[in-house]
Amino acid sequence: MTLTEDSTSVRRFPDPYSIPTPDGAQGWEDMYPYYNRFLESRRDRDSKRTWFRNGMHFPEPMPPFDIVTSDSAFMSTGVMNTRVFALPPALGIDVRVLNGYVYMSANGVENPEEIGHRAEEFAVRVGYYYQNWPDIYAKWEAKVRAEIAKLQAVAIPALGEFEPVEDVLANRGVTSSNDFLVAYQAILASLDAAWNLHSELLNMGYAAYLNFLMILRGHFPEISDQSVAKMVSGVEVLLFRPDDELKKLAALAIELDVTGRFAAGRLESLRADLAESGAGQKWNAAYDESADPWFNFSYGNGFYHHHRSWSDDPTFPLTIIAEYIGRLQKNEDLRRPLEAVSTERDAVVDRYRSLLDADDVQAFDEALGLSRVVFPYVENHNFFIEHWYMTKFWNKMRELSEVFVRFEFFADVDDIFFMRRAEVGDALVDVQMSWCGGGEPLGPDYWPSIIEERRRIHAALKRWTPPPALGPAPAEIVEPMTIMLWGITDDQVKSWLDAQSGDGVVRVLSGFAGSPGVAEGPARVVMSPGDLDFLVDGEILVAPITSPSWTPVFARIKGAVSDIGGIMCHASIVSREYGLPAVVGTGTATATIKTGQIIRVDGDKGIVTILSDS
Amino acid sequence: MTYIRRFGDLRLTDRPDVGGKCASLGELIHAGIEVPDGFAVTAGAFEAFRDQGSLRDDLKRIVRSVDPSRSSDLDAAHTAASELVAATPIPQEVVDQIVAAYGELCEAAGDEALPVAVRSSGISEDGDVTSFAGQQETYLWVVGAHDVIDNVRACWASLYTPQAIAYRSQLPEEVAFESTLISVGVQAMVDAEVAGVAFTVSPRTGDRSVMAINASWGLGQAVVSGEVTPDEYWLSKIGLDVTSSTVARKTMQCVPSTTGRGVITIPVPDDQQDVACLAPESIRELADIAIRVEQHYGCPQDIEWARTRATNGRPARIVLLQSRPETSWKKRQAESRAKTGSSAAASYLSVIQNAGTGVRKA
Repeated sequence: MTLTEDSTSVRRFPDPYSIPTPDGAQGWEDMYPYYNRFLESRRDRDSKRTWFRNGMHFPEPMPPFDIVTSDSAFMSTGVMNTRVFALPPALGIDVRVLNGYVYMSANGVENPEEIGHRAEEFAVRVGYYYQNWPDIYAKWEAKVRAEIAKLQAVAIPALGEFEPVEDVLANRGVTSSNDFLVAYQAILASLDAAWNLHSELLNMGYAAYLNFLMILRGHFPEISDQSVAKMVSGVEVLLFRPDDELKKLAALAIELDVTGRFAAGRLESLRADLAESGAGQKWNAAYDESADPWFNFSYGNGFYHHHRSWSDDPTFPLTIIAEYIGRLQKNEDLRRPLEAVSTERDAVVDRYRSLLDADDVQAFDEALGLSRVVFPYVENHNFFIEHWYMTKFWNKMRELSEVFVRFEFFADVDDIFFMRRAEVGDALVDVQMSWCGGGEPLGPDYWPSIIEERRRIHAALKRWTPPPALGPAPAEIVEPMTIMLWGITDDQVKSWLDAQSGDGVVRVLSGFAGSPGVAEGPARVVMSPGDLDFLVDGEILVAPITSPSWTPVFARIKGAVSDIGGIMCHASIVSREYGLPAVVGTGTATATIKTGQIIRVDGDKGIVTILSDS
Repeated sequence: MTYIRRFGDLRLTDRPDVGGKCASLGELIHAGIEVPDGFAVTAGAFEAFRDQGSLRDDLKRIVRSVDPSRSSDLDAAHTAASELVAATPIPQEVVDQIVAAYGELCEAAGDEALPVAVRSSGISEDGDVTSFAGQQETYLWVVGAHDVIDNVRACWASLYTPQAIAYRSQLPEEVAFESTLISVGVQAMVDAEVAGVAFTVSPRTGDRSVMAINASWGLGQAVVSGEVTPDEYWLSKIGLDVTSSTVARKTMQCVPSTTGRGVITIPVPDDQQDVACLAPESIRELADIAIRVEQHYGCPQDIEWARTRATNGRPARIVLLQSRPETSWKKRQAESRAKTGSSAAASYLSVIQNAGTGVRKA
């Protein structure tokens, strides 16, 4: 259904048109394309809809270029629901950016005839995918690897003094100037293709899981999301693979007797130091083998250019390897208890199954069977696209940006991300004109001041706390992605509404019980990966959302709290694996909790309580 | 004729003879669950009683002649029937067998003045009948054969309360007669330190993977009658984890009277009121027992339980005083399904279920 105003509903989130621009952020609108903004001329229509903040994928204000990830991701999830699989009641999602933050509103189908018509199409299409899933998934991996190779192969032309003579002698005719234009278009097209692939299997994977969840809820209305997840989760999950690689490298360092280099603690020069000995070279070779692809693992979630990966900055993996070496030397067993996890999973299934009436067992088995077939994709796609592909994508854009740096548009390659996608296209033409005609590009006299201003605005937007939702509260939430992934349910909406109507002193936050258990300790609010450096052992991590690449950090914390996320978000999965309590999808934890406050995380009930201020 | 059946000899199939309550206690013993010992005074005993002289016809006449809409009629019928039941002697054979059975119970317990509970045990399987037809009588801490017999008679008489008469007057005669078939259970009392009820299904939603336990200080009477707000513990039956515990302020408790007969309600000492009356290990032990009972019966159970006081080096034990099928869970499950299940989601989830049919993990 479309999230439009329910006539009986009187509760509202703030109106998107009444929200003031944060201090110092005047002119922020200029950073985003018109199709992403709340246009004054559409006030009557956009004010009537409910807009949820997507803090899960976009926890920070968007740098102007980075909105391409929102464009591609939402287009892709939309096209799969709307046009590819014909999901009967739910289409895709409309997107708006407000004060730099991404908001979304689902498009639905309300006409029962249309739903019926779509259901017929849906059955044929999704039936084919479910029946052939393992095969389709295997091919999917090959398609993604091919897309990554294709992106890597995009050549950014040198644009030197002359065209290469061999091109001239081969009377090529078409020039590097054209190659430059094509390269940019190829990068954008590849991004779009990668996100199409991302959504190809994801929505239907979630739909199968949701089906199992609803069947279980029918029989066991009080079943926790954790229990359902436990029954379906795979034992071997790619999210843990990078961490496993670190453990393997730690063991190898001991085996090769090169641990002394790690103890010395000079991580910057560690790899070079190791290269001095044969054993060290062997270890370096093993590291490089692990690193591609496994260290294309974003410190964030891959949706922002500044979420660099382990490959870009190996400080973190090397630090963790050093730590693992220490633990192995103390004879600690670092292996994850895979057998126990798998035994427990089977025991939980058997218990629930034994409580069903005989008539209901078949439907349960089928729904569980399907969920388990689709689930490896749900769990693993993230590494392929958000981490591996996106690491390569941002770096390919930096390669392109180096041309602008050479033409003195700006000095820092990352400045390109403060131009909109269309503006990069304009600047590219500027470079083409200048290179072709031998004149001066205008960019160096145009962009530096704009980029500087935008960086300042972006910093101001970062200090603003976006509300979890805008517009009227919705009547009912059914879109599977909204529920499963973002953790937005009717109850969640109610708690957000309750929070905004309070006296302003919030001491208790509620969210999803992501991982069971209760822990108390000092909070550490981590707004971006850089803040992780301050984290002290035994603290409770409070973040807008956690990244899989933070997995090793979970060995050091007592619990985790996130603003956004459902039972399948990374914080939940990793917390369950590490046996830590987690409450996810609180909406406002990072805005409410301050670093150093003593908080209690109740992962059984999904409640976070601020106990004291220090 | 035999008018007495020992609990240990009973099975569920003996219900027509000893009523649901006693048959279930026998079945629990058979399943290896600890239940205080006792015996049933069979439905046949009450029939033998009613067969004396014109008693049966007299009672029927009194009951059938009332206008159930007039409370003065009902009161008059109640008075007349009660007086008849009280004035008619119990057949000597029945009396002798009760005296002998009580004597055996005392001897086995090593207490010649063994306190017992005397409770109605209706034959009908219809929950409404047992609730409304005066089959819910319970007398606690009854001591001596004479008092036992008096209270058996009181259970019989309780079929003729004004409410029970009114209820039966709207039933067809055959059904009305069947709803007066009752047995009476006589069971050794447990001096409970803590007692309460346990549901092996969620009373909130009918969720069978959930169990709820209520517990308060003293005899279970206080919890059953709603005189105190008990501690409430919720467990997941998957792994038996306690998912929530709410410790209530328990101000009153039901304990044996200082006279040695009957029970009284007294205040809970201040320092005990806010204390959880079940430790985690006791909760688990009770949950284990409750699940065994549910598995034995194959359906959710509503259980009355008690934990004895530790005495003379004998550790505290959890015993069951009653277990009966919890019948409304399916209804609540359906209600809760209707509340959470969205029609729009259901429209395509069924398609998914069909589309996924036959898919198995490779």
